[in-house]
Amino acid sequence: MKKKLLGLLLTAAMAATLLAGCGGGDTPASGSSTGAKTYALVTKSAGNPFNEKEAEGFKQAVEAMGGTPVIQHPEAATADAQITVIQSLISQKVDSICIAANDENALQAALEEAKAAGIKICSVDSTVNTASRQVHVNQAGVNEIGQCLVDAVYDLTGGEGQWAIVSATSQAANQNAWIESMKEIIASDSKYANLELVEVAYGDDEPQKSTDVTQALLTNYPDLKVICAPTTVGIAAAAKVLQDQGSSVKLTGLGLPSEMAEYIGDDDAHSCPYMFLWNPIDLGRLGAYTSIALVNGDATGAAGEKFTAGDMGEYEIVTAGDGGTEIILGAPFKFDPSNIEEWKSVY
Amino acid sequence: MAGKSGRTLAAVPERSLKKMLVSWEGMLFLLFIAVNIFCKCISPVYTFTNVLREMPKYLTEIFLLFPMAYILLMGEIDISVGSIVCLSATMSCIVSNAGMPFPIVLLAGLMTGTVCGMVNGLLTVKFRELPTMIITLGTQIIFRGIAEIVLGSGGTISLTNMDGFRKIAGKIGPFPYLFFLVILCAVIFTVIADKKVFGRRLYAIGSNERTAFYSGIKVNRMLFTSYTVLGLLAGLSAIFLTSATYGANTTTGKGFEMDAIAMAVFGGISTAGGKGKLLGGVISAFVIICLRVGLGQINMNPQVILIILGALLILAVLLPNITQHINQKRKKASKA
Repeated sequence: MKKKLLGLLLTAAMAATLLAGCGGGDTPASGSSTGAKTYALVTKSAGNPFNEKEAEGFKQAVEAMGGTPVIQHPEAATADAQITVIQSLISQKVDSICIAANDENALQAALEEAKAAGIKICSVDSTVNTASRQVHVNQAGVNEIGQCLVDAVYDLTGGEGQWAIVSATSQAANQNAWIESMKEIIASDSKYANLELVEVAYGDDEPQKSTDVTQALLTNYPDLKVICAPTTVGIAAAAKVLQDQGSSVKLTGLGLPSEMAEYIGDDDAHSCPYMFLWNPIDLGRLGAYTSIALVNGDATGAAGEKFTAGDMGEYEIVTAGDGGTEIILGAPFKFDPSNIEEWKSVY
Repeated sequence: MAGKSGRTLAAVPERSLKKMLVSWEGMLFLLFIAVNIFCKCISPVYTFTNVLREMPKYLTEIFLLFPMAYILLMGEIDISVGSIVCLSATMSCIVSNAGMPFPIVLLAGLMTGTVCGMVNGLLTVKFRELPTMIITLGTQIIFRGIAEIVLGSGGTISLTNMDGFRKIAGKIGPFPYLFFLVILCAVIFTVIADKKVFGRRLYAIGSNERTAFYSGIKVNRMLFTSYTVLGLLAGLSAIFLTSATYGANTTTGKGFEMDAIAMAVFGGISTAGGKGKLLGGVISAFVIICLRVGLGQINMNPQVILIILGALLILAVLLPNITQHINQKRKKASKA
């Protein structure tokens, strides 16, 4: 009986401390109380070099404009982990959230809650659905990237033969959009009729898994000519596998110059003749300037609006393929043996 | 208390307040208070409403803790629950997108979980010589594999009609419905473990399965029931998770099994079976949640948070062993 009473007391005390310990009403976040605005960036995962460069650019731009940047990496590259981060940012009463999404739709509930709390939302790099965002900061038009990659595959295969894709996770919104676009471009033009896409393999943006799926592709398709990896982690892993094995399979895709420098070359000793990417630092900076414009009221995310992105010049908000709006950074940039030396030290 | 005539202090140990506070559950409770004060100090936004608002994501995992604790008490384990959550969430999304009414959607999620739990239970009972770690490792891969096949190449499914799910994600004041459901489950499962015959049998099996068997306890039935209940609650967890993500994908529920096991072990429930209390598991779950919320609010790197939690877990397992060791030494010393 006494024990029951004690148990009850303990429970009551537990509830009381929860109330007392963290009660006391909502106090404003440190950022907004000092007058400086707080701009948050949520990346896809920690340790992703592309995301880190993006975060660097974001931080630079926010600080240059006198704001406080908050960079948050989720504990895993999943939408669940990003929801946790968003919830925490709502508590902190940040002024804006700029997010590179791990899943297009899964963040909707959390981002709607953020929006209801007065936080401005934009996505960068990998989009969220139109209900969740005000505007998306796109590194390059989906079809421009698709076209670039298809032409590279066409060029490297010599116009015919088997090729495969090593992608990130199977639900990564941007990779899926590019792959879809590549498939459409190939289907729409008879010029590409002899290209045979044998498999889309998913390396989940993990170096080891990307290595494993590349090995599996080489084993399963002895006639494979080209691998296209539209992800920085995938391309680096695939490049190492191909070059270490002296494989005749050629590689292209989207990669970081600093990680890919040793694999880029026209001869047989190098696995990747050329690849593409945009500047992640600029992407992060544009994400920051967009956040600032949304918070200041210079932009609301409607198509046709124009705003000045600091020293990057003027950008226009346009209608995106999914019915929402977006801002396009620019066309993808080609890295080949002629310019890789210069770029590898940049990012 | 000690003043009662004819009774020595040693005879009433489990009823004293001192014993209560130095028990593992008492220590955890003090730790819970300490963590809350700590978080309040480091984070200006660590308020009651904020903590409750950030909690639902973690609460969905606590459902798994209760039946997991039962299974651990019997000396077994289930590492497939994360996959069951994934498959249940996937199935309820599919049923919802097929235009079925919400009660059917709920049923689909719960039934999927229950069936998966029954599969685990059946395999455990039929192949008693196999370690359950291996059995559920197998089903972990199988259940998630099925979910991945059902999800197809995109690997993700989004709800087309969120009305029902929006409703269950609702709140009474600052308290999400989920909170009350978790507390209700906590009470039911704790009372059964501590006060009912079923609970006694769990401890009996965990202490010595053979003896339990020969004293007439239907070990197989106990195992089957517990695994099935774990499946059912994994289905429940999946439904609430879906209400937060409006969909499911191949990573849904990943790591839930380890989180549930960690909460239980931190709460003093031994993986070797027969030891520990559910109350400890429940308190430790809230200690972990509060710590994660607080550290998250000061933007601590989540990897560092995971390292802190891992270190705490090892400490939690080590501490009872160390104190036992010291006590034994002391006894030896006093004898000599």
